Amino acid sequence: MSLKIEHLTKIYDDGTVALDDVSLEVPDGQFLGIIGLSGSGKSTLMRCINRLIEPTSGRIWLDDVEVTAADSNELRKIRLHIGMIFQQFNLVKRASVLTNVLTGRLGYLPAGTGLYRRFPSEEIKRAERNLARVGISEKALQRADALSGGQQQRVAIARALMQEPGILLADEPVASLDPATAHSVLKYLEEINQSDGITVICNLHFLSLTRRYAHRVVALKSGKIVFDGSPSEIDNARFREIYGEDAEEVEVR
Amino acid sequence: MTIIPQPKNRRRVLIASLLSIIPGLGQIYLGEVQRGLVLLFGLPAQTAIFWAIGGQWLAATTVIIWAWNILDARKLARGTKVSLAVPILLLVVLNLAAGWHVTKIDLYELATGVPNMRRIGVSLFQPQFVVRDVRASAVYTVPGPDVTKLGYRSEPASDAPNISVSPDSVVKGQNVTVSGRKFPSNQNGVLRINVGSDWQKISIKTDSNGRFISKFVNQSTEPGDYIVEAIIGLPFNQWHPSETLKLTSRLMLETIFLALVGTAMSIIVTVPLSFFGARNLMKTSRAGRIAYAATRGLFNVLRSIEVLIIAVMLTAAVGIGPFAGVLALAIHGIGALGKLYSEAIESIEQGPIEAITATGASKLQVIAFAVVPQIIPQFISFTMYRWDINVRMATVIGLVGGGGIGYILMQYIGLLQWKEAATAIWLIAAVVMSMDYASAVIREKLL
Repeated sequence: MSLKIEHLTKIYDDGTVALDDVSLEVPDGQFLGIIGLSGSGKSTLMRCINRLIEPTSGRIWLDDVEVTAADSNELRKIRLHIGMIFQQFNLVKRASVLTNVLTGRLGYLPAGTGLYRRFPSEEIKRAERNLARVGISEKALQRADALSGGQQQRVAIARALMQEPGILLADEPVASLDPATAHSVLKYLEEINQSDGITVICNLHFLSLTRRYAHRVVALKSGKIVFDGSPSEIDNARFREIYGEDAEEVEVR
Repeated sequence: MTIIPQPKNRRRVLIASLLSIIPGLGQIYLGEVQRGLVLLFGLPAQTAIFWAIGGQWLAATTVIIWAWNILDARKLARGTKVSLAVPILLLVVLNLAAGWHVTKIDLYELATGVPNMRRIGVSLFQPQFVVRDVRASAVYTVPGPDVTKLGYRSEPASDAPNISVSPDSVVKGQNVTVSGRKFPSNQNGVLRINVGSDWQKISIKTDSNGRFISKFVNQSTEPGDYIVEAIIGLPFNQWHPSETLKLTSRLMLETIFLALVGTAMSIIVTVPLSFFGARNLMKTSRAGRIAYAATRGLFNVLRSIEVLIIAVMLTAAVGIGPFAGVLALAIHGIGALGKLYSEAIESIEQGPIEAITATGASKLQVIAFAVVPQIIPQFISFTMYRWDINVRMATVIGLVGGGGIGYILMQYIGLLQWKEAATAIWLIAAVVMSMDYASAVIREKLL
């Protein structure tokens, strides 16, 4: 799915300008890395795309559907196509891994179906397939909080895959993980980007990870886009521009 | 190091001391406004409180604080700020003394009065759980000018154990024969004869037909009626629960169910209400904030009215009995559980809610899959805890006519039936302790 953002601005109730006239086009199938300091507006941008946060002004299209014009019913249908994973994984800790994955399918089911925690058997099979895809089939019946961080994030990816999304938003997906685990999670994102053609937009702290995985990098600073190009174009001068004069690059290998 | 006061400094000290005759003014003059204001209003208020509860002599003790206030002002003027530890400690001591006075603590009375509790204390260790013997009694008379025979020489049921005395009218030194029948066979027992304030005791044994015959010499000269009682042990396999145990157990069960129904009633009202009392769900709109404030206000009011008071008020509406108790527990429980439930909802993680919302799930599905799993264990845990508390409260409610075991306990105490009361008290203790333990174990498993 392709994404088009026009003049997006978000001002919070306390007056903080999180996004300041951001315009951006992401073609179908791209792996876009978004970098920037904490507080630069990366997370706000992501949450505006699926309207977990309501933009103050500006317009957003997914393919030719305008997200910003949708009423709440239409919005739920649009959200079906937008998968999302989070820094803190956001799994229901007490529920089983399988149930967590199945929640990704709720939007496709009639509102009442899921309430008894009974899912159609084809959905359970679909969940098992997605768990197998992220390599944790054997954990299906364990409680989500019994898993390691990397495993939990893989459950979150499986949950997003249940939506059969056209686009996947990844908000700092590896910021809570150690470097080795970070790579394993990002490799799954790369894999679904390449084999399913799912557009991936991924917030990342580390430039080195962005260089390794992203086709294209957008840098945000104080809610504005300060760089948009290929990862290889970011030299030391550009780096200082994005992260500030005192910053020094830390490598994650 | 000695500080030699400068002339200006000396004037400051003088002014501060004079001003602080009215407590606090000196401190305010020296810029310690907060400390000054506390002294200015606090000291008169404390003095007034002491005067009201303990009279002028207690009120006069605050002069110590007043003196400290002047010293403090002088020290401040010289540039040292004294810690508040001393006056605070003094105030605590003075207030404890005032409390001692108000609560009329009387150690002498305690020391001299404790022996009066002996009978209660002893009875407490003689609860009537099982019947281990059978008893029957009869009366004989030492005749005299004014003695009329007691009226209760009723005929026992023909199959019940009974004893008879012959003759039934005796003088001092005369033999009395006691014969018993229909007792358990071949059992040891004791015959007790009421002599004045004491009992004369004779060992007896029943024969294979459950009969015994025994003799004693009447020692009493005082004209009047005397009771003879035979107590025959029951063989172990015939021990049985006492009527008191049966009655108190039934009422204990009534109390547990009273607490259960009271808790259930609170849950029905509280579960939906508690969502309105959760700030994180309500803060998003103006109407929500109003609903939040109203719900929390209601919880606070209900929680702060004692169950006993509610129960007494309700007996006016529904009469004395368990129903008043149930309603009282339910009403108070709404306040207590409401606060806990609402706080449980407030403490849930937003992450899963955000994540499931982002998948395109409906609001209802979000609540079912992201909110409910997070609050269920806490709700169950708080409810167990409440039920446990309610059993204790239901006992106390019984004392004021709310039914259950408390009601019968009050009657036993009123009739000075201490052994029966002890039965109820031990039963309550056992049930409360085991429920306390069980709910602790279950709560630990859940959280």
